[in-house]
Amino acid sequence: MNVGLTTSPENGSSADAEAALSVRDLNFYYGNHHALHDIMLDYPARQVTAMIGPSGCGKSTLLRVFNRMYDLYPGQRATGEVIFDGMNILERTVSLDILRARIGMVFQKPTPFPMSIYDNIAFGVRLHERLSKSDMDERVQDVLTRVALWNEVRDRLRAPASGLSGGQQQRLCIARSIATRPEVLLLDEPTSALDPISTARIEELLDELKEEFTIAIVTHNMQQAARCADRVAFFYMGRLIEVDTADRIFTNPRQKQTQDYITGRFG
Amino acid sequence: MSKSSQAAPERLARWRPDRRMNRRRHMDRLATWMSVVAGAVLVVVLLSILWTLLSRGLVGISWATLTHGMGPPGSGGGLGNAILGSIIQTSVALLIAVPLGLSCGIYLAEYGRKTNYFADVVRFVSDVLMSAPSILIGLFVYQLVVVPWGHFSGWAGSVALAVLAVPVIVRTTEDMLRLVPTAMREAGAALGAPRWRVILSLCLRSARQGVLTGILLALARVGGETAPLLFTSLGNQTWSSNLNKPMASLPIAIYQYAGASYDDWVQLAWTGALLITFGVLLINIAVRLSARR
Repeated sequence: MNVGLTTSPENGSSADAEAALSVRDLNFYYGNHHALHDIMLDYPARQVTAMIGPSGCGKSTLLRVFNRMYDLYPGQRATGEVIFDGMNILERTVSLDILRARIGMVFQKPTPFPMSIYDNIAFGVRLHERLSKSDMDERVQDVLTRVALWNEVRDRLRAPASGLSGGQQQRLCIARSIATRPEVLLLDEPTSALDPISTARIEELLDELKEEFTIAIVTHNMQQAARCADRVAFFYMGRLIEVDTADRIFTNPRQKQTQDYITGRFG
Repeated sequence: MSKSSQAAPERLARWRPDRRMNRRRHMDRLATWMSVVAGAVLVVVLLSILWTLLSRGLVGISWATLTHGMGPPGSGGGLGNAILGSIIQTSVALLIAVPLGLSCGIYLAEYGRKTNYFADVVRFVSDVLMSAPSILIGLFVYQLVVVPWGHFSGWAGSVALAVLAVPVIVRTTEDMLRLVPTAMREAGAALGAPRWRVILSLCLRSARQGVLTGILLALARVGGETAPLLFTSLGNQTWSSNLNKPMASLPIAIYQYAGASYDDWVQLAWTGALLITFGVLLINIAVRLSARR
């Protein structure tokens, strides 16, 4: 078998699909620490791409490049290119407010805002759009329905979001992210703080959401990657080792490091 | 059967505490009791103060005391003007101190994290100010406001009280905002919210209970202050709600009346002390209740 050293995105079956995000020669630094090395990776539109790898391999770092979250912290910087809709989003001139409206993010821990369930959704929408009361009501109902939360909260939309269970809060956070109608959804271990039932619901949800959004998900859970992802990228020590279809990665990876990781030999 | 009974003495020995464990247990008991006693002493002191105030001050509480202004001895004067003066001056002091203290606390928590020399200086000065003797604050405002204006005034008193309240509000606001998890800020930013929006709508909002507590604590602190008012609003025997004129206040009325040789004035001092103490106590209880919610 020809074990190539290439980490180019052209391998894998979905190279023909249009890429929503293209990462080119990306390097990332936390101060002097070089955390990501020469990453080249495409995220095909309306597919789920999972990023796996041991802790500290750089997968979350990469995710946080896509909405420039690192900009909050002085000393963190990225070089190279991330092309989204024809624009290199690493450019200083890119408006972060617009970028983050178009690329949404859901975090590991549910982060309900200190306000009502309704306002949690409306908060993000109001930042970018002026909607009439009825349009806003419709938007709130629409996104809550899509995350399968509407029936559970329809009678208490005005109640504080902090009163929801962990799984409900996380679904609310996903609803909040898609309410601003982004094109890409970034998920940073969205189920690692949840019980198995809530996890299953969110995984089902991803299947529906990918009809409309391009999804990049970081996960520690390889079963989850196998269940949800179309493509899987394996990272190790700040480098992209291999990217391929989920089937291929979990049944017949080309790199030995990938093989070792998915069979639990390290990490 | 015989096997287990043979093993029993050895097992018991393994469960028997040695001398060091015994000593630790005695020390633990001793320390617990000492803490309980210390706590009890504190409560007894507080209760005896409250009891003294109640037994001496309660007889003086009447509609007349609350509504009549101060007057010469034997004239049946009350504390009405002093109560009004205290309410006006602490309110104005809060109107000055809250915006200033909040903004400063927000700056320190959100913009002055690490490696910010200016923020370190501000934080240090604020902490020093918090422990500065209040009479010095009074003298400072005397120089700053009273001397240039040429007369004592309610404004000067309010400014002095505000100077005392600001550092308390700064400290609690900063501490409470720092308790807001980073995840909240990132979640706000991830939706495309500008930083000011994240701070005001999310961080300050989730810290509002603690921030409010800080403001009420500052109120309780300045409400009973005498020293900063002595050189600033001076006190006033007559009704006045004019902040440009000297203004009466409860602490100054107590200060003036407590040392007097007229029985009715001394009685008014006790009553005033009762009013202040229970006012502050009520504010503190309100803080606790609001914090619990």
